Amino acid sequence: MKAQNTIQTIAWYITLIIIVVLMLAPILWMISTSLKPELDILSNEIHWIPERFTLENYQKVLDAHPILRWTWNSLFVAGVATLLTVTLDALAGYAFARMDFRGRDILFAIIVSMLFVPLQITVVPLFLAFAKMEITDTYLALILPIGANVTGVFLMRQFFLGIPSDLEDAARVDGASALRIWWSVVLPLARPALTTVAILTFLSTWNSFFWPLIATRSDAVRTLPVGIAQFLSVRPGLTQNVQAYGMSMAGAALAALPPIILFIILQRNFIKGISMTGLKG
Amino acid sequence: MGRVLPRARADTQTRTAPRFSYKTTAYLFVLPYLIFFLAFRLGPALVGLGMAFTNWRIVGQPDWVGFSNFEAMTRDTRFLDALRNTAVFTVLTVPLLIIVGLALAIFMNQPRRGRTIGRVAVFIPYVLMSTVVGVLWTWMLERDFGLVNSYLKYLGIAPVPWLLNENVALYGIILTTIWWTVGYSMVLFLAGLQDIPEELYEAARIDGASPWALFRFVTIPLLSPTIFLVALLSIINSFQVFDQAYVMTSGGPGTSTLTLVQYVYTAAFQFSRMGYGAAIAVVLFVILIAIALIQARSYRRGLTGTMQ
Repeated sequence: MKAQNTIQTIAWYITLIIIVVLMLAPILWMISTSLKPELDILSNEIHWIPERFTLENYQKVLDAHPILRWTWNSLFVAGVATLLTVTLDALAGYAFARMDFRGRDILFAIIVSMLFVPLQITVVPLFLAFAKMEITDTYLALILPIGANVTGVFLMRQFFLGIPSDLEDAARVDGASALRIWWSVVLPLARPALTTVAILTFLSTWNSFFWPLIATRSDAVRTLPVGIAQFLSVRPGLTQNVQAYGMSMAGAALAALPPIILFIILQRNFIKGISMTGLKG
Repeated sequence: MGRVLPRARADTQTRTAPRFSYKTTAYLFVLPYLIFFLAFRLGPALVGLGMAFTNWRIVGQPDWVGFSNFEAMTRDTRFLDALRNTAVFTVLTVPLLIIVGLALAIFMNQPRRGRTIGRVAVFIPYVLMSTVVGVLWTWMLERDFGLVNSYLKYLGIAPVPWLLNENVALYGIILTTIWWTVGYSMVLFLAGLQDIPEELYEAARIDGASPWALFRFVTIPLLSPTIFLVALLSIINSFQVFDQAYVMTSGGPGTSTLTLVQYVYTAAFQFSRMGYGAAIAVVLFVILIAIALIQARSYRRGLTGTMQ
């Protein structure tokens, strides 16, 4: 019995190590490559620890591409879009949950049904409309469509349906206006839902690629994912061997490390939140 | 609120109408979102639907052309390739995400030391941006010096020309996608596993059930809602695959990794055939709706099946 337990424990650790190594190897290899001189990268030997360390790839990639600018653009767009979305969704979600007005249920059904309509169908008309208004390649073009997001309204409404309305009723008896009640009674209660909607909106905007790729042309507005996509702009089949892999890996590592570190710090809450929204969505 | 109370309360007048009676306030709350929703979601979706029946280009007057965009698709080999590639990608990716994700979840659900490290390691790729993943795996799968082929060479296996060969490029993108997103399905399965009451396993064990019987007759039936969820989410995501494929191959070599969304992008924004691009997006929409309906039906049937 005891021997069997030991064998099981050893098997557990071996499997665990294999899984961890397989999952992390690409990321470690990216970091390792980024620290090698370009000459050592195209080598037939596998050197996990660089024989010669260098930071020149980081220097080169920061010189060649405005990575900091792209990062700032991404942060700005995701930040403003999140504020906008949370405000719109908290207002509308509250009305859909608590107020009676004509057409409420039909309106909500129409909104939710758009969850099933892929964004790609809206992209061509949006681009044409924005081109006509001459706001392609501006922050506005990246931020405005996020305000129409459906998930946030849905989550806010579900949240308000789930909490008792006693406090609001009391405030109403005291003669507070609807907006006043929303601002000083409802919003403080809704902090968990507001946080969830904020995090979801920020992450999806931060990571979004298809629309920013279409809507941006210049580095002044371009977001980080779109910028990074240009690193290996030479297509396979042409001259893959002469590509600047060290430089690309340095840029990719710069973009990859902040979220990884943030995730490791927050992993407990993060995984819980994902499984919750996943199961509710 | 009971149904009898309002009448009793009506003449005491201590209570105003339930909720807000002033309708304008409600509209003021909904209106800001509604404007965005109409302008940037519903409106463009309806226009997109309409555009699919025109020959809209950047320049010149668009004309209604009826179903001719859709008829043209049936003869367009690029479209048919894109449809086939997207289907192959989905058919291979979704089961792999379910099987590998479930296996990882069951493994990481054991009460043993180090499981948190394991879970974090499996999930880490998922926090990366799609284009970081694409750039990273372009290097991983490089033919002569990429890490994957370097190890294959060590094992005496001939290097695979991953992204350079029409026959294997799609598999390179599938491998990348599994690595990137399997952590997400693992987390969903972990949540599902933790909802299964431990007593069920204990009872089955007392009855002498083998580990396989536990898995087959306890875990799988009770996990079926989660399996449906993961299947639905990954089918929807797979049909819309674009980012990593755009970075790694842009649809090439030839049309071997061209996907539906990539073709929407190419047709509308590179060939300026806006109407045709919109029509491809409509086809994608119809496919997604059909899958959601089939899933909802089979899910309901599955539920009643277990009840009986």
